[in-house]
Amino acid sequence: MTLSQQLIERIRAEFPKYPEKRAVLLTALHFVQEEQGGWVPPELIPEIAALLEIHPIDVKEVASFYHMFHEHPVGRSHLQVCTNLSCALRGARGVVRRLEGVLGVRPGELSADGEFSVEEVQCLGSCGSAPVIQVNNEPYLENVALGDVETLVAGLRGRRLAAVGE
Amino acid sequence: MTEAGGPDEKPATVRVVIDGREIEAEPGAPLLQVALDHGIQIPHYCYHPKLSIDGSCRMCQVQIQGQKKLAIACNTPCTEGLVVDTRGDEVADARRGVMELLLVNHPLDCPICDQAGECHLQDYSFAHGSHHARTESPRRKGLKRHPIGPRVVFDQERCILCRRCVRFTQEITQTDELRVFGIGDTSHIGTLESRPLDNPYSVNVADICPVGALLSADFHHKRRVWFLDTTASVCAGCANGCNIEIGTWRNEIQRLTPRRNDAVNDTWMCDAGRLGYGFVGAADRIRAARVRIDGEQREVSLQNALDAAAEALRQVRATHGAGAIAIVGSAHLTNEECFRLAAVARDEVQTPHLDLAVPLGTSDAFLVKAEKAANARGARDMGLVPGEGGHDLAGIAAAVEAGEIRALWVVGSRDLEEVIGGERAAKVAAALEVLVVQDVQPSYLTAAATIVLPGATWAEKSGTFTNHAGRVQRIGGAVTPPEGVVVDGELFARLASALAGGAVAAFEPAQVFDQIAAGVATYAGLSHLVLGAGGRNAGAAANGEA
Repeated sequence: MTLSQQLIERIRAEFPKYPEKRAVLLTALHFVQEEQGGWVPPELIPEIAALLEIHPIDVKEVASFYHMFHEHPVGRSHLQVCTNLSCALRGARGVVRRLEGVLGVRPGELSADGEFSVEEVQCLGSCGSAPVIQVNNEPYLENVALGDVETLVAGLRGRRLAAVGE
Repeated sequence: MTEAGGPDEKPATVRVVIDGREIEAEPGAPLLQVALDHGIQIPHYCYHPKLSIDGSCRMCQVQIQGQKKLAIACNTPCTEGLVVDTRGDEVADARRGVMELLLVNHPLDCPICDQAGECHLQDYSFAHGSHHARTESPRRKGLKRHPIGPRVVFDQERCILCRRCVRFTQEITQTDELRVFGIGDTSHIGTLESRPLDNPYSVNVADICPVGALLSADFHHKRRVWFLDTTASVCAGCANGCNIEIGTWRNEIQRLTPRRNDAVNDTWMCDAGRLGYGFVGAADRIRAARVRIDGEQREVSLQNALDAAAEALRQVRATHGAGAIAIVGSAHLTNEECFRLAAVARDEVQTPHLDLAVPLGTSDAFLVKAEKAANARGARDMGLVPGEGGHDLAGIAAAVEAGEIRALWVVGSRDLEEVIGGERAAKVAAALEVLVVQDVQPSYLTAAATIVLPGATWAEKSGTFTNHAGRVQRIGGAVTPPEGVVVDGELFARLASALAGGAVAAFEPAQVFDQIAAGVATYAGLSHLVLGAGGRNAGAAANGEA
């Protein structure tokens, strides 16, 4: 697995914006994750490091620190459930358990069809509408109740079928 | 380590008051270190005197007069008039709080943990903890008995994330194998899969790990530390002379650990030195003297072998002259033994053909030196060098092959084989009339020898080594030699008496050292007592240095 030439050029284009190449690391990781369908494959880490002239362990350190970078493949619909204080108080953990049941996956796992993955994330900054779920980079699903879970999953499946049908 | 290092110029000091005690401190010195140096115990995990300040464990919090919040002592530089309290209720509360957080996920598996007995977490838990847990949630699971490198075992559940190991690989070895991955609750120490913790100094992380997270694979589940007897000594692996402690149990070495000496090795030692003690208790250790009778080596008493060796050497001397005898000494012998051997060569054997076989290997820019023996410099200082008109090692080998040298006495045969090569050693052995080999383990030459004398290892001796830089340091006998084996210095004394007649002068290292001090100019003024735990530089006393 290697970085595409296009991606390399895209990362290089960021260099002039910062005093040193290592500062581009976060941006580069975002680009890589985007191109790879939602995760940063560990095999690419040495290449990213070489491009930014840092050590591979520096890349892994940063990629593992931030929750938004994934070290394992995620589903086409990646469900990020906030379980910080406000959401937890409003039943977020129950939502996670229900999602696990409906999808047959545990946090960090990928459903058999590759469609779904669930992750507990840190505060999404929407405590007033807790509990909150974010699918991929889309707008938040707010005030999620336990009963909404099945509908939500069905909707995401339908959307996927529609997309494939097109 | 007040005994280590020379006196620096005294900088202007500042006065700080810790727990009511007025203390003179170097300006800017870490308050924690100053307190520790004055016997004021401030608990700490992440602080290490040879690593940068991390400030992550929060255990060393103290009350500083005029400051509202507690401050960490490790990152508080000493300034004039600093007034510090380490004993107040607020400090005790903070320590209890830190302990509680550190123990939330700690497995408390002390009964099966190698660190138990020398564990900061354990000690501080007793001293500052609260003895019961308020949490009921399950403890975090992590890697157990994970080989994070070939010589280090990692237990992720015990780790308290002080990052001492990370800083060690960044600042000391600069190999950078370890990092903290993850965030918050998922934080853990790890390596890249492709790059395990495998550098020549890797096991030091086990020493500096304040808990039982990083452990020496060699010592893993070997012996409870409170059963160990420890002896201060010096590593015998190379010419650097790293200060060590030898941990023994029932007369067997269990582990070697570095002992701090800022003039030599700080608090570190290399893995090769640390793990290179196996020969002491090796199964094939030479435990008895042997004499070749009718073409075959037979076990005899030590005294018989010494008498046979003396008789053989006397005969060669009578027939061919003393110049037909050569002696190859070992850089593994102590100064006292070398001094004694040099005297035997000069006075009893009376040959000038005397030299050392010093095995060479790789070196690095940190501790590891090329000479793979502890005392090459000391041996030369003691006179294990060719005498007037005498051959050096290469000359001795050539003279043996030319038939000029008929008898050879070798101390440390593997070193000789390594230095001149196995093939050459075989030729030398074949050309000799008499080959006396004094050694601890078998080799080609011990098999070819006329007489084999069992030697002793450095761990069985007391005496001194002189390192590559001329620092004279004491070693201590940590174990007794196998039954029937005596230290090499004693063998030299007995052989001297067998050669020249007369009573055996007992080999007393401290007394021999006094003779060295009287006879070797650069050692003047030194004695075992003066050397103390940290050693002195040869020549320093003569130059009026401390």
